[in-house]
Amino acid sequence: MSVLARNNVRVGGQPDGRPMLFAHGFGCDQNMWRFVAPEFEADHRVVLFDHVGAGASDLAAYDERRHGTLAGYADDVVEICRELELEDAVFVGHSVSAMIGVLVAARAPETIGALVLVGPSPRYIDDHGYVGGFAPEDIDELLESMNSNFLGWSSAMAPAIMGNSDRPELGEELTASFCRTDPEIAARFARVTFLSDNRADLASVDVPTLVLQCSDDVIAPAAVGEYVHRQIPGSVLVRMTATGHCPNLSAPQETIDAIRAFL
Amino acid sequence: MRSARSSDPSGRVTDLSAEELYEQAPCGYLSSTPDGTIVRVNETFLRWTGYRRQDLVAVKRFQDLLSPGGRIYHETHYAPLLRMQGSVREIAVDILTADRRRLPVLVNSALVTDEAGEPELVRTTLFDARERKAYERELLAARDRERQAREAVERLHAQSQATSHALQQSLLASEAPRDPRFDIVTLYQPAVEDLEVGGDWHDAFVLPDGRLGLVVGDVVGRGLIAATAMGQLRSAVRALAIAGLGPVELIRALDAFVAGVDAAKFATLVYAEVEPDLGTATIASAGHLPPVLVTAAGEARLWFGGRSTPVGIQTPALPRAEAELALNPGDTLVLYTDGLIERRTESIDTGLARLLAAAADDPHPDALRRNLIAQGPDKDDVCVLAFTRTHAAE
Repeated sequence: MSVLARNNVRVGGQPDGRPMLFAHGFGCDQNMWRFVAPEFEADHRVVLFDHVGAGASDLAAYDERRHGTLAGYADDVVEICRELELEDAVFVGHSVSAMIGVLVAARAPETIGALVLVGPSPRYIDDHGYVGGFAPEDIDELLESMNSNFLGWSSAMAPAIMGNSDRPELGEELTASFCRTDPEIAARFARVTFLSDNRADLASVDVPTLVLQCSDDVIAPAAVGEYVHRQIPGSVLVRMTATGHCPNLSAPQETIDAIRAFL
Repeated sequence: MRSARSSDPSGRVTDLSAEELYEQAPCGYLSSTPDGTIVRVNETFLRWTGYRRQDLVAVKRFQDLLSPGGRIYHETHYAPLLRMQGSVREIAVDILTADRRRLPVLVNSALVTDEAGEPELVRTTLFDARERKAYERELLAARDRERQAREAVERLHAQSQATSHALQQSLLASEAPRDPRFDIVTLYQPAVEDLEVGGDWHDAFVLPDGRLGLVVGDVVGRGLIAATAMGQLRSAVRALAIAGLGPVELIRALDAFVAGVDAAKFATLVYAEVEPDLGTATIASAGHLPPVLVTAAGEARLWFGGRSTPVGIQTPALPRAEAELALNPGDTLVLYTDGLIERRTESIDTGLARLLAAAADDPHPDALRRNLIAQGPDKDDVCVLAFTRTHAAE
């Protein structure tokens, strides 16, 4: 199984443009970038992928040990970068992939030229003198929530399009897999995501970095974005008017504009 | 609550006005802007949750009503799904009520978009799922119990296998006698495919009068029970041999012995007593495969003397017997169990013919294993004892 097939890597845009690597966060897959990534295809080499265990990645490649830490996911990304021979790439990481990007930049500095961290959090759980926004029991509850939901439970689940949404953004084929994966893997990824602590990795980031912070983000509150900005030397913090945790879906234009301005 | 029933022309009571239907529907209704801000909510939802309308409308977002874990789920799954596929169905979440209770609900949402396709409004229905949630918890608990029980059984099974192997090894551990007049080489190789121990054994020991006792046997079945029965038979053979019964009487005594040891019944064995100076062997075979005699010149033949039925079966047609065989210097007597020759798809004669050819080539047990077993799958344990009268005895 090649690295590119393992991570369902899709390459588009200009073959000789500056590479941009878009990494999705916990929950869904590369389709999270559907409203953003195409905007950069005119002048960049755009790379999309699914983390192992998500989307159309090869579930058989999931390794409890390797994928038991964010470093394992970062190693996967490093392998993708090397396979595609990326240089000076812009790594755009949403949610947990923001920290994965920080780890990739440290592991393979020759490939990463800039980081765009969308809704980053180096630690989700509160600690002495640090507000992450969550208590450990909240994460247990999330796991229970995932356990009691049917997404990914039933392979026969092919959602009917309801309401008056006669223009679903995803075709049926994608609808069947978006946000759905093996429940065991999803639960493990949730643990890895929400129990990680990458605060110590921030200070050594030495590439230009943009922190995109939404208003009213319950997963990565404003204080966390400011913390990331303070810890990464020379980073730029942009507070977006977009609300929620997924500006790539809810405010794609604002997201695109902020990234463009930074680049 | 105002009762506002209406009737159709035939006088049947039809449903309430659309407004009444909305407010009093047996499910919660909630409309919100794309960022979640609640813009409308029905009375059923307010009744279930204890909120007043002014607590919610234009004040709270839908996700604010969820527990923290549910809020993460909302941001990472629910909202993306809704945006991408226009609707979300059957999501189980807990709503935090005004008095901080948790109300398990099933949520369906549909996204309303404007003419440009931009999200405009989210319509959500909520169904009371307390019963279902309780039932699911029971299912999950049952699954977890089943998994634990299965793991416990697997652990026990692994322990039992380890115990059986340890027991079998200890039962077979004794060293064969060493003497310049003869060589005794033994081999025990467990089956590859079956993790359970078998009931094969070999043994060689010196009798009080200086003669040698040699035995190879096979207890019916596999597992701990077969292994312990093998241990009992092996000890019984030694004890009876030391008492000086001689081969045929020894087998008769075993017939009586296995009457009290069920698992040892129908075992087969070949027992030989050898006078090491003269090379005279007295052999009794209780239903076992015929020993192979390989001469110093390299001729191999099956020896069918002293044959009778398996231990615990006696028939007048084939009474207990023993017979004598003279071993010349350089001759080898090979005792073995069926794992050495049997193949599923072959007759036993073919297997024996192959054994003779291999033994003529080299009767050493390792050579036999190499030449016979390497050619086919190891489905059964293999046990071999080769006794060679050396030239040094001349």
